Amino acid sequence: MIRFARIPSLLIMVTILLTACAGGQPAAEKPILIGGALALTGINAYVDEPAVRGIQLAVDEINAKGGILGRNVEFVNLDSKSDPVTSSNVGVQLVERGANAIIPAADFDMGGPACREAQKAGIVCISTTASSPLFGSEALGDKVFTLSMWNTTMGAATAEYAFKEKGWTKVWVVTDTFIDYTKSLSRYFIEQFKTLGGTVLFEDTYTQGAQDFSAQLARIQSSAQQPDFIYVSSYMPDLGTIIRTIREAGIQLPIVGGDTYDDPGLFEAVGADYGNEVYFDTHGFLSAEANPRVTDFTTAYVAKFGKDPEAVWIMPGYDVVYVLAKAMEKAGTTDGAKVAKAMEDMEFDNLTGHLDWSDAASGHMPTKAAAIVRLTAGVPKFLGWITPATLPAP
Amino acid sequence: MIVFEFIINAISVGSLYALIALGLVIIYGILKMVNFAYGELIMVGGYLLYLVGANTNIPWLIAAVIAVVGAMVVSYLTELVAFRKVREKSLTALLITTFAVSTLLQNSALIIISPRAKAVALPQIFSTTITIFNITTSMRNILTIVVSIAMLVGLTFLFRNTILGIALRAAADDFQMTRMLGVPANLVISSAFVLSGAIAGVVSLFWIGRTASVTPTIGLGPLLIAFVATVIGGMRSLVGAVVGGFVYGLIFSFIGVLLPQVLLDYREAFMFLIVILILLLRPEGLVRVKYAQERVG
Repeated sequence: MIRFARIPSLLIMVTILLTACAGGQPAAEKPILIGGALALTGINAYVDEPAVRGIQLAVDEINAKGGILGRNVEFVNLDSKSDPVTSSNVGVQLVERGANAIIPAADFDMGGPACREAQKAGIVCISTTASSPLFGSEALGDKVFTLSMWNTTMGAATAEYAFKEKGWTKVWVVTDTFIDYTKSLSRYFIEQFKTLGGTVLFEDTYTQGAQDFSAQLARIQSSAQQPDFIYVSSYMPDLGTIIRTIREAGIQLPIVGGDTYDDPGLFEAVGADYGNEVYFDTHGFLSAEANPRVTDFTTAYVAKFGKDPEAVWIMPGYDVVYVLAKAMEKAGTTDGAKVAKAMEDMEFDNLTGHLDWSDAASGHMPTKAAAIVRLTAGVPKFLGWITPATLPAP
Repeated sequence: MIVFEFIINAISVGSLYALIALGLVIIYGILKMVNFAYGELIMVGGYLLYLVGANTNIPWLIAAVIAVVGAMVVSYLTELVAFRKVREKSLTALLITTFAVSTLLQNSALIIISPRAKAVALPQIFSTTITIFNITTSMRNILTIVVSIAMLVGLTFLFRNTILGIALRAAADDFQMTRMLGVPANLVISSAFVLSGAIAGVVSLFWIGRTASVTPTIGLGPLLIAFVATVIGGMRSLVGAVVGGFVYGLIFSFIGVLLPQVLLDYREAFMFLIVILILLLRPEGLVRVKYAQERVG
């Protein structure tokens, strides 16, 4: 008799549990583990550290709404130290901990190794802002994606903007030869600029860490033919030195570059005096002009961290988690192959703009617009989104 | 006129490099130890500039004094806490300790402040461009040259005409003899570190003045420059360091302009080729000294 008497109460309990799940309360099931192999130290930290904050914010939001597939989401980041070997080791550790997806350091060299481990383990790996065309299915595997536009787009977008919008036809190119990113960005910019009909007057090089741009400057000054603008592919802190040195010499030519310019440290470093006529393309912009959803994002960010988001790099971290969540919901599972398929099939409206990946056979090439930004008196202003009409081959 | 602009740039770079090299060689002269934590003293100066500028309304000039004094204090502390303990041990132990101190300072900045580049507020004079006789250059270049040369003159006076300077030079020549004559070893060595820190502090003002930002790894560049410059100039001589710094700065600037475009990627290779040639012809560096003593303990 006692056993039968318990049935109603059991039913009630089950009902409560089911209601709880439907009502947005995460179930007591094993949480979905998103493994971070982002770099909190070393040269990539300036991009990865803000991304981690974006990831944490998105994870909190998703958990508050009931998690993914009814399961809570947990995010664990192990510092990959901007080092390829550590990246690989961290990848192995995350897989051993049972990660359902991995977010690597935002660079092919420093983040790729973690993705290779994810690929081996059959889980999805998605980078926030690795922009090398190598970062895709061809080089790393069919479960590897990057949220970022590739350097093909990043180089081509500013080339189009300069040539078509501004009517600039002659360029002086300076390339930082220290890492692959800056070299490939210059290469795609030059290719697109020439395709459009522009002329490259000179290609100079620079090495990150030299902190001296005087020799390159002397060449620009002594050149018989003056360019319409200077394309500088480098990154902080030396990018600050380069721009300041050019402006110090009284050269007011426009300076154009890629997403490494999108750094509050640079805006302050060039300041009101030297931070003029600087143009760059990047992943998004922290204002409602670029995307109306940024307003809500900023409110949520301030509520969690108590200050305004200071760098664009927070948004891709936030986006990556939502992309994973949507793809897992659509696939109905965390199984790598199915989630990857969902990511290929779906299109995403992110804070950093509309995104669509090609299938694995064509490299998981991202189709994404670039945000064009201009510095005036050291203050960035959003100019618009550009999708290059044609792209250089990766 | 471009030629003159370039020459001003090259002299500005050369005089800064000379100062950088001098700060390293002061320590090497006495302890025969390459202080790999030297670059971090420049970083300390930079972060002090940043911290003072970002958190207070103190005028830049006072912030600059704080940065220089801070670098001196940290330099003295590294000697007191780390190097003094291992001074009696092998040279290898001392070298490894300098690496340890360097890593410790770098990572402290990284953890306490940020891995990102932090912008350092500069006075208006660092963002001013002047034109004299059709030559356009930055006030920073002029300031760098003036201050570096003033520092070099001041240090020359210190080394020639003060008891401390004479003791330092004597210690660099023959440390045991200097000790026997009654000069306290710890005092001389500590003074050398304080002086090295002061130079690093002044260097940090102008090094940061070029880029207007500071990162935890900013010391690596100056350290390499100091190392190569002292090797070119001669590691045993203070004059050698200054000559080496100037030569390095000038060669680097001229190579950048004179190399044809196809060879520009190999700028560093050509630079070091010249360094190797100098060392083949003058293995002791450009400036030779009379005394050559082994390291002291």
